[in-house]
Amino acid sequence: MTRGFEAMALFRYATSLYGDSNVVIGASWDLLPWFVAAGATFIILHAVVKAIAGRRHHAG
Amino acid sequence: MSATETSAAEAGPSATPVVADTAKPDTNTRVLNTRVLRHRLVDRIYHWLMAASVFILMGTAFFPIMGWKFEWVSLHWITGVVLTLLVLIHIVRALFWQDWRAMLVDGADIRDGVRSMRSALGGRGPAPGKPGKYKILQKLYHLAIAILVLSIIASGLLMLLKIDTPLWRRNPYWFDNDTWGVIYSVHGFAALAMITLVMIHIYFALRPEEWWLTRSMFRGTISPKEYAEHCDASRWRAEDRA
Repeated sequence: MTRGFEAMALFRYATSLYGDSNVVIGASWDLLPWFVAAGATFIILHAVVKAIAGRRHHAG
Repeated sequence: MSATETSAAEAGPSATPVVADTAKPDTNTRVLNTRVLRHRLVDRIYHWLMAASVFILMGTAFFPIMGWKFEWVSLHWITGVVLTLLVLIHIVRALFWQDWRAMLVDGADIRDGVRSMRSALGGRGPAPGKPGKYKILQKLYHLAIAILVLSIIASGLLMLLKIDTPLWRRNPYWFDNDTWGVIYSVHGFAALAMITLVMIHIYFALRPEEWWLTRSMFRGTISPKEYAEHCDASRWRAEDRA
Protein backbone atom coordinates (compact mmCIF):
# COMPACT_ATOMS: atom_id res chain seq x y z
CA MET A 1 0.00 0.00 0.00
CA THR A 2 2.76 2.42 0.97
CA ARG A 3 4.70 1.53 -2.15
CA GLY A 4 1.63 2.36 -4.21
CA PHE A 5 1.43 5.85 -2.75
CA GLU A 6 5.17 6.36 -3.20
CA ALA A 7 5.00 5.33 -6.84
CA MET A 8 2.06 7.59 -7.61
CA ALA A 9 3.17 10.96 -8.94
CA LEU A 10 1.02 14.06 -8.79
CA PHE A 11 2.56 15.58 -11.93
CA ARG A 12 3.96 14.55 -15.28
CA TYR A 13 7.54 15.61 -15.91
CA ALA A 14 9.64 16.03 -19.04
CA THR A 15 13.19 16.93 -19.94
CA SER A 16 13.71 20.44 -21.28
CA LEU A 17 15.97 21.38 -24.20
CA TYR A 18 18.56 22.38 -21.62
CA GLY A 19 18.60 18.97 -19.97
CA ASP A 20 16.46 19.82 -16.97
CA SER A 21 14.48 16.65 -16.34
CA ASN A 22 12.16 18.14 -13.71
CA VAL A 23 9.97 20.31 -15.90
CA VAL A 24 6.33 19.91 -14.91
CA ILE A 25 4.15 19.40 -17.98
CA GLY A 26 0.81 18.68 -16.33
CA ALA A 27 -1.19 16.61 -13.86
CA SER A 28 -0.33 12.94 -13.63
CA TRP A 29 -2.86 10.70 -15.40
CA ASP A 30 -2.11 8.00 -12.81
CA LEU A 31 -4.54 9.98 -10.63
CA LEU A 32 -7.48 9.17 -12.90
CA PRO A 33 -8.57 6.04 -10.97
CA TRP A 34 -8.34 7.96 -7.68
CA PHE A 35 -10.78 10.61 -8.82
CA VAL A 36 -13.15 7.91 -10.08
CA ALA A 37 -12.75 6.13 -6.74
CA ALA A 38 -13.52 9.38 -4.88
CA GLY A 39 -16.79 9.72 -6.79
CA ALA A 40 -17.69 6.08 -6.22
CA THR A 41 -16.88 6.35 -2.50
CA PHE A 42 -19.08 9.41 -2.08
CA ILE A 43 -21.95 7.69 -3.92
CA ILE A 44 -21.70 4.50 -1.85
CA LEU A 45 -21.42 6.37 1.46
CA HIS A 46 -24.35 8.61 0.62
CA ALA A 47 -26.50 5.68 -0.50
CA VAL A 48 -25.69 3.77 2.71
CA VAL A 49 -26.43 6.76 4.97
CA LYS A 50 -29.72 7.43 3.14
CA ALA A 51 -30.70 3.76 3.39
CA ILE A 52 -29.97 3.66 7.13
CA ALA A 53 -31.77 6.95 7.72
CA GLY A 54 -34.75 5.75 5.68
CA ARG A 55 -34.94 2.49 7.63
CA ARG A 56 -34.73 4.39 10.93
CA HIS A 57 -37.46 6.76 9.74
CA HIS A 58 -39.77 3.84 8.82
CA ALA A 59 -39.02 2.05 12.09
CA GLY A 60 -39.69 5.17 14.14
CA MET B 1 -54.08 14.24 -2.75
CA SER B 2 -56.91 12.95 -4.89
CA ALA B 3 -56.54 10.67 -7.90
CA THR B 4 -57.63 13.50 -10.18
CA GLU B 5 -54.83 15.68 -8.92
CA THR B 6 -52.29 12.90 -9.29
CA SER B 7 -53.15 12.19 -12.89
CA ALA B 8 -53.20 15.84 -13.81
CA ALA B 9 -49.96 16.61 -12.04
CA GLU B 10 -48.14 13.76 -13.72
CA ALA B 11 -49.67 14.24 -17.14
CA GLY B 12 -47.16 16.89 -18.16
CA PRO B 13 -47.02 20.58 -18.86
CA SER B 14 -49.97 20.49 -21.23
CA ALA B 15 -52.23 18.99 -18.62
CA THR B 16 -55.32 20.80 -17.46
CA PRO B 17 -54.80 23.00 -14.40
CA VAL B 18 -54.54 21.09 -11.17
CA VAL B 19 -55.61 21.95 -7.69
CA ALA B 20 -52.74 22.51 -5.30
CA ASP B 21 -52.38 20.24 -2.33
CA THR B 22 -54.01 22.32 0.36
CA ALA B 23 -54.36 19.62 2.98
CA LYS B 24 -51.52 20.94 5.12
CA PRO B 25 -50.22 24.02 3.40
CA ASP B 26 -47.45 26.12 4.86
CA THR B 27 -48.84 29.37 6.15
CA ASN B 28 -46.83 31.17 3.51
CA THR B 29 -47.50 28.76 0.64
CA ARG B 30 -49.37 30.34 -2.17
CA VAL B 31 -52.02 28.05 -3.60
CA LEU B 32 -51.23 27.41 -7.24
CA ASN B 33 -53.55 26.23 -9.91
CA THR B 34 -51.06 25.35 -12.60
CA ARG B 35 -47.69 23.67 -12.87
CA VAL B 36 -44.82 25.76 -11.59
CA LEU B 37 -42.16 26.90 -14.04
CA ARG B 38 -38.72 25.93 -12.76
CA HIS B 39 -36.46 25.99 -15.81
CA ARG B 40 -37.24 27.97 -18.95
CA LEU B 41 -36.65 26.30 -22.32
CA VAL B 42 -33.51 28.35 -22.96
CA ASP B 43 -32.04 27.24 -19.63
CA ARG B 44 -32.86 23.59 -20.29
CA ILE B 45 -31.25 23.81 -23.72
CA TYR B 46 -28.20 25.39 -22.08
CA HIS B 47 -28.03 22.62 -19.49
CA TRP B 48 -28.20 19.79 -22.02
CA LEU B 49 -25.79 21.46 -24.47
CA MET B 50 -23.38 21.97 -21.60
CA ALA B 51 -23.80 18.33 -20.57
CA ALA B 52 -23.11 17.18 -24.15
CA SER B 53 -20.05 19.44 -24.34
CA VAL B 54 -18.69 18.15 -21.04
CA PHE B 55 -19.15 14.52 -22.09
CA ILE B 56 -17.43 15.15 -25.44
CA LEU B 57 -14.60 17.00 -23.68
CA MET B 58 -14.15 14.24 -21.11
CA GLY B 59 -14.28 11.55 -23.78
CA THR B 60 -11.74 13.27 -26.01
CA ALA B 61 -9.54 13.96 -22.98
CA PHE B 62 -9.58 10.62 -21.19
CA PHE B 63 -10.25 7.92 -23.81
CA PRO B 64 -6.85 8.53 -25.48
CA ILE B 65 -5.20 8.38 -22.03
CA MET B 66 -6.91 5.04 -21.39
CA GLY B 67 -5.54 3.66 -24.64
CA TRP B 68 -8.23 4.42 -27.22
CA LYS B 69 -6.19 6.35 -29.77
CA PHE B 70 -7.95 8.65 -32.22
CA GLU B 71 -7.57 12.17 -33.57
CA TRP B 72 -9.00 13.93 -30.56
CA VAL B 73 -7.38 17.39 -30.57
CA SER B 74 -9.67 19.12 -33.09
CA LEU B 75 -12.90 17.82 -31.54
CA HIS B 76 -11.57 18.72 -28.07
CA TRP B 77 -10.65 22.33 -28.73
CA ILE B 78 -13.71 23.06 -30.88
CA THR B 79 -15.98 21.65 -28.16
CA GLY B 80 -14.03 23.67 -25.62
CA VAL B 81 -14.72 26.86 -27.55
CA VAL B 82 -18.41 25.90 -27.74
CA LEU B 83 -18.45 25.33 -23.96
CA THR B 84 -16.79 28.71 -23.45
CA LEU B 85 -19.51 30.44 -25.50
CA LEU B 86 -22.24 28.54 -23.63
CA VAL B 87 -20.82 29.56 -20.26
CA LEU B 88 -20.52 33.20 -21.37
CA ILE B 89 -24.17 33.18 -22.45
CA HIS B 90 -25.12 31.56 -19.15
CA ILE B 91 -23.23 34.18 -17.12
CA VAL B 92 -24.87 37.07 -19.00
CA ARG B 93 -28.28 35.43 -18.69
CA ALA B 94 -27.80 34.71 -14.99
CA LEU B 95 -26.70 38.27 -14.27
CA PHE B 96 -29.37 40.11 -16.25
CA TRP B 97 -32.34 37.80 -16.79
CA GLN B 98 -32.27 35.35 -13.90
CA ASP B 99 -32.18 35.78 -10.15
CA TRP B 100 -28.49 35.02 -9.55
CA ARG B 101 -29.02 35.49 -5.80
CA ALA B 102 -31.05 32.26 -5.82
CA MET B 103 -27.73 30.42 -6.20
CA LEU B 104 -26.00 32.12 -3.25
CA VAL B 105 -25.63 30.25 0.03
CA ASP B 106 -27.34 32.25 2.79
CA GLY B 107 -27.70 31.90 6.55
CA ALA B 108 -30.93 29.91 6.31
CA ASP B 109 -29.20 27.40 3.99
CA ILE B 110 -26.40 26.87 6.50
CA ARG B 111 -28.83 26.55 9.42
CA ASP B 112 -30.98 24.03 7.53
CA GLY B 113 -27.90 22.18 6.26
CA VAL B 114 -26.67 21.70 9.83
CA ARG B 115 -30.13 20.56 10.93
CA SER B 116 -30.37 18.13 8.00
CA MET B 117 -27.01 16.58 8.81
CA ARG B 118 -27.92 16.29 12.48
CA SER B 119 -31.21 14.65 11.56
CA ALA B 120 -29.53 12.24 9.09
CA LEU B 121 -27.05 11.19 11.78
CA GLY B 122 -29.83 10.44 14.24
CA GLY B 123 -29.51 13.58 16.34
CA ARG B 124 -32.38 15.54 17.83
CA GLY B 125 -33.34 19.16 17.37
CA PRO B 126 -35.54 21.33 15.20
CA ALA B 127 -36.43 20.00 11.77
CA PRO B 128 -34.72 21.67 8.83
CA GLY B 129 -36.76 24.21 6.91
CA LYS B 130 -37.51 23.92 3.22
CA PRO B 131 -35.14 25.51 0.73
CA GLY B 132 -35.97 28.09 -1.87
CA LYS B 133 -35.45 27.18 -5.51
CA TYR B 134 -32.16 25.41 -4.78
CA LYS B 135 -30.97 23.32 -1.82
CA ILE B 136 -27.68 24.16 -0.15
CA LEU B 137 -26.00 21.11 -1.72
CA GLN B 138 -27.14 22.23 -5.17
CA LYS B 139 -25.67 25.66 -4.50
CA LEU B 140 -22.37 24.24 -3.27
CA TYR B 141 -22.27 21.87 -6.24
CA HIS B 142 -22.89 24.77 -8.62
CA LEU B 143 -20.08 26.72 -6.94
CA ALA B 144 -17.67 23.79 -7.27
CA ILE B 145 -18.61 23.18 -10.93
CA ALA B 146 -18.32 26.91 -11.66
CA ILE B 147 -14.79 27.02 -10.21
CA LEU B 148 -13.73 23.92 -12.14
CA VAL B 149 -15.31 24.93 -15.45
CA LEU B 150 -13.93 28.46 -15.28
CA SER B 151 -10.46 27.06 -14.44
CA ILE B 152 -10.70 24.63 -17.35
CA ILE B 153 -11.89 27.34 -19.73
CA ALA B 154 -9.20 29.85 -18.68
CA SER B 155 -6.39 27.31 -18.92
CA GLY B 156 -7.87 25.76 -22.07
CA LEU B 157 -8.04 29.10 -23.87
CA LEU B 158 -4.35 29.65 -23.07
CA MET B 159 -3.55 26.14 -24.28
CA LEU B 160 -5.08 27.06 -27.65
CA LEU B 161 -1.88 29.09 -28.17
CA LYS B 162 -0.11 25.79 -28.65
CA ILE B 163 -2.10 24.54 -31.63
CA ASP B 164 -2.66 25.70 -35.19
CA THR B 165 -6.27 26.36 -36.10
CA PRO B 166 -7.97 28.00 -39.08
CA LEU B 167 -8.33 31.10 -36.89
CA TRP B 168 -4.83 31.54 -35.48
CA ARG B 169 -1.26 30.21 -35.69
CA ARG B 170 0.37 28.51 -32.77
CA ASN B 171 2.73 30.52 -30.61
CA PRO B 172 4.07 28.46 -27.70
CA TYR B 173 6.53 31.17 -26.71
CA TRP B 174 4.00 33.30 -24.88
CA PHE B 175 4.96 31.58 -21.62
CA ASP B 176 8.06 29.84 -20.29
CA ASN B 177 8.11 26.11 -19.51
CA ASP B 178 7.25 26.54 -15.84
CA THR B 179 4.21 28.69 -16.61
CA TRP B 180 3.01 26.21 -19.22
CA GLY B 181 3.41 23.51 -16.58
CA VAL B 182 1.12 25.42 -14.22
CA ILE B 183 -1.46 26.01 -16.98
CA TYR B 184 -1.49 22.36 -18.03
CA SER B 185 -1.64 21.21 -14.41
CA VAL B 186 -4.64 23.44 -13.64
CA HIS B 187 -6.39 22.10 -16.74
CA GLY B 188 -5.56 18.51 -15.83
CA PHE B 189 -6.51 18.61 -12.14
CA ALA B 190 -9.75 20.48 -12.85
CA ALA B 191 -10.61 17.94 -15.56
CA LEU B 192 -9.93 15.05 -13.17
CA ALA B 193 -12.09 16.65 -10.49
CA MET B 194 -14.85 17.04 -13.08
CA ILE B 195 -15.04 13.25 -13.31
CA THR B 196 -15.85 13.04 -9.60
CA LEU B 197 -18.43 15.82 -9.75
CA VAL B 198 -20.12 14.50 -12.90
CA MET B 199 -20.44 11.07 -11.26
CA ILE B 200 -22.06 12.67 -8.20
CA HIS B 201 -24.37 14.79 -10.38
CA ILE B 202 -25.63 11.76 -12.33
CA TYR B 203 -26.05 9.81 -9.10
CA PHE B 204 -28.31 12.48 -7.58
CA ALA B 205 -30.24 12.88 -10.84
CA LEU B 206 -31.04 9.15 -10.73
CA ARG B 207 -32.06 8.95 -7.06
CA PRO B 208 -35.85 8.49 -6.84
CA GLU B 209 -36.38 11.30 -4.32
CA GLU B 210 -34.71 13.70 -6.75
CA TRP B 211 -36.69 12.64 -9.83
CA TRP B 212 -38.94 15.68 -9.48
CA LEU B 213 -35.87 17.83 -10.10
CA THR B 214 -34.59 15.65 -12.92
CA ARG B 215 -38.02 15.71 -14.59
CA SER B 216 -38.07 19.49 -14.34
CA MET B 217 -34.85 19.65 -16.37
CA PHE B 218 -36.77 17.88 -19.18
CA ARG B 219 -40.25 19.37 -18.79
CA GLY B 220 -39.33 22.71 -17.29
CA THR B 221 -42.04 22.54 -14.65
CA ILE B 222 -42.86 20.93 -11.33
CA SER B 223 -46.30 20.12 -10.00
CA PRO B 224 -48.01 22.28 -7.35
CA LYS B 225 -47.68 19.33 -4.98
CA GLU B 226 -43.93 19.10 -5.57
CA TYR B 227 -43.63 22.84 -5.08
CA ALA B 228 -45.53 22.74 -1.80
CA GLU B 229 -43.69 19.64 -0.62
CA HIS B 230 -40.11 20.67 -1.40
CA CYS B 231 -39.93 24.46 -1.55
CA ASP B 232 -40.46 27.35 0.82
CA ALA B 233 -42.68 29.81 -1.05
CA SER B 234 -41.22 32.73 0.91
CA ARG B 235 -37.75 31.86 -0.41
CA TRP B 236 -38.73 31.02 -3.98
CA ARG B 237 -41.75 32.80 -5.35
CA ALA B 238 -43.19 30.42 -7.90
CA GLU B 239 -43.82 31.47 -11.43
CA ASP B 240 -47.02 30.00 -12.87
CA ARG B 241 -46.38 28.33 -16.18
CA ALA B 242 -49.47 30.01 -17.57
